[in-house]
Amino acid sequence: MAKWGMVIDLDKCTGCQACTTACSMENNTLPGESWQDVLFYHEGEYPSAQMKWLPRPCMQCEKPSCVYVCPTRATYKDEEAGGIVFVDWNKCIGCKYCMIACPYGVRFYADEQPLVEPDIRDVYPGENGQMWSPPYQNPEQDWRRGIGIQPKGVVSKCTFCHHKVSKAPDGVADLDEDDPDLVEYVPACVRTCPPKARFFGDLDNPESNVNRLIGDKHGVRLLDHTGNRPQVYYLGAGAGIPAFSPRKS
Amino acid sequence: MSDNNIMKGGLGTGLLILSVIVLVASFGFVMYNLMSHGHASFNVSSSLPWGQPISTYLYFALASSGLGLIASLPLVFGFKEYYGLAKRAIFLAFIILVSGMAVLALELGHTFRMLWAIPFNMQIQSAMFWMGVFYAADLLFLLWKFQKMESGDWDSKATRTIGIASFLGVLLASGNLALIFGMMSMRPFWFDGLLPIYFYLTAVTSGLAALVFFTYLAYGFSRGAMPENLQRALTNGLPKLFAAALGLTILFIAARAITGLYSNNPEIHYVWTNYLFASPIYVASVVLGLLVPFALMMSASLRVNPAIQILVSILTFGGLFAERYFFVVGGQVVPLFKGTWAWDMIQYTPSITEWALTIMGSALLFTLYVLGERFFNLSATPEQPSMAESPERAGQATA
Ligand code: SF4
Ligand code: SF4
Repeated sequence: MAKWGMVIDLDKCTGCQACTTACSMENNTLPGESWQDVLFYHEGEYPSAQMKWLPRPCMQCEKPSCVYVCPTRATYKDEEAGGIVFVDWNKCIGCKYCMIACPYGVRFYADEQPLVEPDIRDVYPGENGQMWSPPYQNPEQDWRRGIGIQPKGVVSKCTFCHHKVSKAPDGVADLDEDDPDLVEYVPACVRTCPPKARFFGDLDNPESNVNRLIGDKHGVRLLDHTGNRPQVYYLGAGAGIPAFSPRKS
Repeated sequence: MSDNNIMKGGLGTGLLILSVIVLVASFGFVMYNLMSHGHASFNVSSSLPWGQPISTYLYFALASSGLGLIASLPLVFGFKEYYGLAKRAIFLAFIILVSGMAVLALELGHTFRMLWAIPFNMQIQSAMFWMGVFYAADLLFLLWKFQKMESGDWDSKATRTIGIASFLGVLLASGNLALIFGMMSMRPFWFDGLLPIYFYLTAVTSGLAALVFFTYLAYGFSRGAMPENLQRALTNGLPKLFAAALGLTILFIAARAITGLYSNNPEIHYVWTNYLFASPIYVASVVLGLLVPFALMMSASLRVNPAIQILVSILTFGGLFAERYFFVVGGQVVPLFKGTWAWDMIQYTPSITEWALTIMGSALLFTLYVLGERFFNLSATPEQPSMAESPERAGQATA
């Protein structure tokens, strides 16, 4: 089985948020439930202040702290599925310990106050146990992997678009949206990225483009000191998060 | 002697009715909001997922552990002067834990699912799995030990074995509870291998506060009305123990604060400077809830004064409730992985529903407490089981 990895080239990323939008449309997430997001920072001060940004999916960690803390095994890492970390919505008890333990802040408990009014969950009340039911939704559903629209009281997160990548032909090294035979299997964020800053492929395959990019262009993983060992790598200058500091005003 | 227990009389009935009303009202309010708005009626969010319901649970669970540890002084370590306190301590430990669990149950996304999903999946890597195991064992041992005391068996080999098992259960439960936080290296404000020690100390302190308060309450806040051995415990060993526990708690908080203030790590440093010490409530809770009680209990004359003892127990109650709240929230106010994108620390104040949950837990505690005082002789000691208990038992049988 492949070990799926994502490579994000920050020298190409324009911070346009197309990935974020594509993700929320693909996965029918709520406003604020951004499985994929682009974070914007400032670093330093005048005259050398910088504006920076960083797209951030779930890192699908090799050593996922979210998995270790989950008391029910609802959160699990599926090596058979390329090492994707899933949440089983039939098992999750909503204790939110995984949200405490994920260093990257990429897990969501959507049973919370709405980010924007009107609350879309009131506009499209949920059916069949779903938290909400929009007029159109992705027909792909698999609650044991946290795919679809979640029920109340569980945690949701990025699935690396497992419902797409799992259908890719066996042994494929990379899922490249420019390949007409593979485009349907490419994760929504990767497929949509206008400057082609995102790449998706098999980290276990020595021939894969993602491995070459990581090796040739100095790929790094973020928050390496946590030991979580992400399967998402960043290329280009400025891969890092400027430390939190409260604003003066 | 048990006639002096006002909980058995009209005042007890009044308190019982009041507690039940508050319990039903707050439970109804919480349920209504959970049914209609779900957890959106809480002010927690995905970036700050654990709020006051969790800190309330923590407060109750640790007060229970503290009471269990205090009860083990006479029951495991043979400090006979505390015999008079042991049965009430065990009973309180049991009902406080039950009340805490009730609060936790309403905080979870799927309470009933927990009952099968945790045991059947055996995720032994998770500290929360062990929390379930150890607190379930703790609850069971407390019940068992209480049942032994109730049947007048305080000293048989079996009882002592249960006592030791229960003591170990308490240590494991509260120590593991500490590690739920203490093992989170991605949350530097909590990450601390010595956190179990801090939890033991604060557990004993809040347990003492509960024990002193509820013992006085049983006797109408009049020490003269208490049985001889209770009076003796409250004038000799217990106040000193209280002073020591408060002192050690303060020491531990000071050590954590100094480390945090000294550290450059923004995820620790700013929690102390911009959240904890910037909050008048936190500062007041440390001063009024810990330092003042400690100062009062250090005075040899004041610490035996009944009014001071009651005041100190109430102040400590409040102080440690706030301490737990700020501990839980403080570990989350600096947003993870957001860096300078976050404008400021995450703002959180408990919603009305979250407060109602805290009130519900407290009302459940008071309800169970009055029932316990009415149906059991919580001041029983092994020395005079038959004589002291017989009139009350007879009274109960006719009631
Ligand atoms: S980024 Fe967070 S949610 Fe994703 S696998 Fe790692 S620890 Fe788990
Ligand atoms: S909230 Fe769900 S997925 Fe997360 S730790 Fe709890 S049970 Fe596991």
